[in-house]
Amino acid sequence: MPLFLKEKRKPLLLMVLVFFHLILISLQVPLGEKQTVFEKVIFSIFSPLQHGITGFFRGIGNVWTNHIYLHNVQSQNQKLYRELFSLRQENSWLRNALRKLSEVKEIQQNLSKISPTFLVASVIGVDPNNIYKSIIIGKGFAGGIKKNMVVLDKYGNLVGRVISPIASNEARVQLITDTDSGVSALIPGEKAIGVLSGDGQGECSLKYVLTSEPDISEGEEILTSGFDGIYPSGLRIGKIFSVAKNVSLFKKIKAKPYFEFNELTQVAILPLEIKENSKETFR
Amino acid sequence: MKDLIEAGIGILIAFIFYTILGKISPSLLLIFNFFILVVLYFAMAKGEVFSACLGTICGLIQDSFSLGIFGVSGLTLTLVGYLGGFISKKINVVPLKRTFLFLFLMASFELLLWSGLYILIFSEMVNSGKGLLFFQPLSSAFLGSLLFPFLRKIKGVKV
Repeated sequence: MPLFLKEKRKPLLLMVLVFFHLILISLQVPLGEKQTVFEKVIFSIFSPLQHGITGFFRGIGNVWTNHIYLHNVQSQNQKLYRELFSLRQENSWLRNALRKLSEVKEIQQNLSKISPTFLVASVIGVDPNNIYKSIIIGKGFAGGIKKNMVVLDKYGNLVGRVISPIASNEARVQLITDTDSGVSALIPGEKAIGVLSGDGQGECSLKYVLTSEPDISEGEEILTSGFDGIYPSGLRIGKIFSVAKNVSLFKKIKAKPYFEFNELTQVAILPLEIKENSKETFR
Repeated sequence: MKDLIEAGIGILIAFIFYTILGKISPSLLLIFNFFILVVLYFAMAKGEVFSACLGTICGLIQDSFSLGIFGVSGLTLTLVGYLGGFISKKINVVPLKRTFLFLFLMASFELLLWSGLYILIFSEMVNSGKGLLFFQPLSSAFLGSLLFPFLRKIKGVKV
């Protein structure tokens, strides 16, 4: 090796590493949320590890709760909790369906189409760079998870959607509080339709609502409209907490999502078939 | 080979803590960053080349669990690893007070660099978690000052 290169070996290596990162970053900037193969590989390697760590510590916790602390009560409680979780989802879904339908006959016809079989997954990780952007769930393509499946909390409130990368037993969920997320949303009573996106700080903004639209007050509920083709209509999103008028062409509407980030231990995932059914039902 | 195994164990421990903290309370991830501690520990022990490479690995792991641009944390941790190794070779940062100051400055630099890149790339403000994020350099300095002498003692390195 020439003497010059020997002396400059360390700065050269740093330059190579920096150059590598800059290339990596600049390759992705125009692609937005698309993942590189490299990122997918790293995610696939480390996400099972994260799953294992979570499982291990949950296992230790279970030993404590199951064998030392009231074994029978605990197992009964868990069973009831699971039942309650499914019933809440079903209840929320049916209430949304009923809200949309007016005639009894129509209700009977359409309810037979809706037989929700929600997938349930536990939350195994959060975004290390911004906790309000994404979460990692402990179910992947092996568990029937597909891209764009809708994710709800235990009360049936909208949390986000599944995005890539999806590993065999883990998947990433983009939260509605992410700045890059977009949900077609409405305020019931034909008051307004807009696009809801996050602010990256745990709250959301309802955008593109004209100032000429009817008055919107604080405390009003926001639901999904279903126009985006990803989120079915009628899902509960959150409540408006501030409306700034006469700011510009559009109203500045801030909303607080219903889902509680710190309580996201388990989530329900809507199978794509339900979304298809809902399109027929609510159209 | 021994160095690589030690670095691997370091990454694994940082990853375990990242997972556990996320499960306890996601806000804790804003205060504690174990990956930077691993990078700076090896920067002090092995020098700039080793820690720059380790910074790349740790940063990319962090990025792979984050939605957004893959490589931002990789770049910042690489630079911090190199700079940390370079400084610790020129100045003795082993005494406790110096370790604290060194870790605090390096973690602050990393946070500043990362925030700058984040704002530049995403065109949005960093989620500071009501200011919790700004405690990260302090918590890293505090934890590192406690852990590093202990680790050196275990390894039998004379200070």
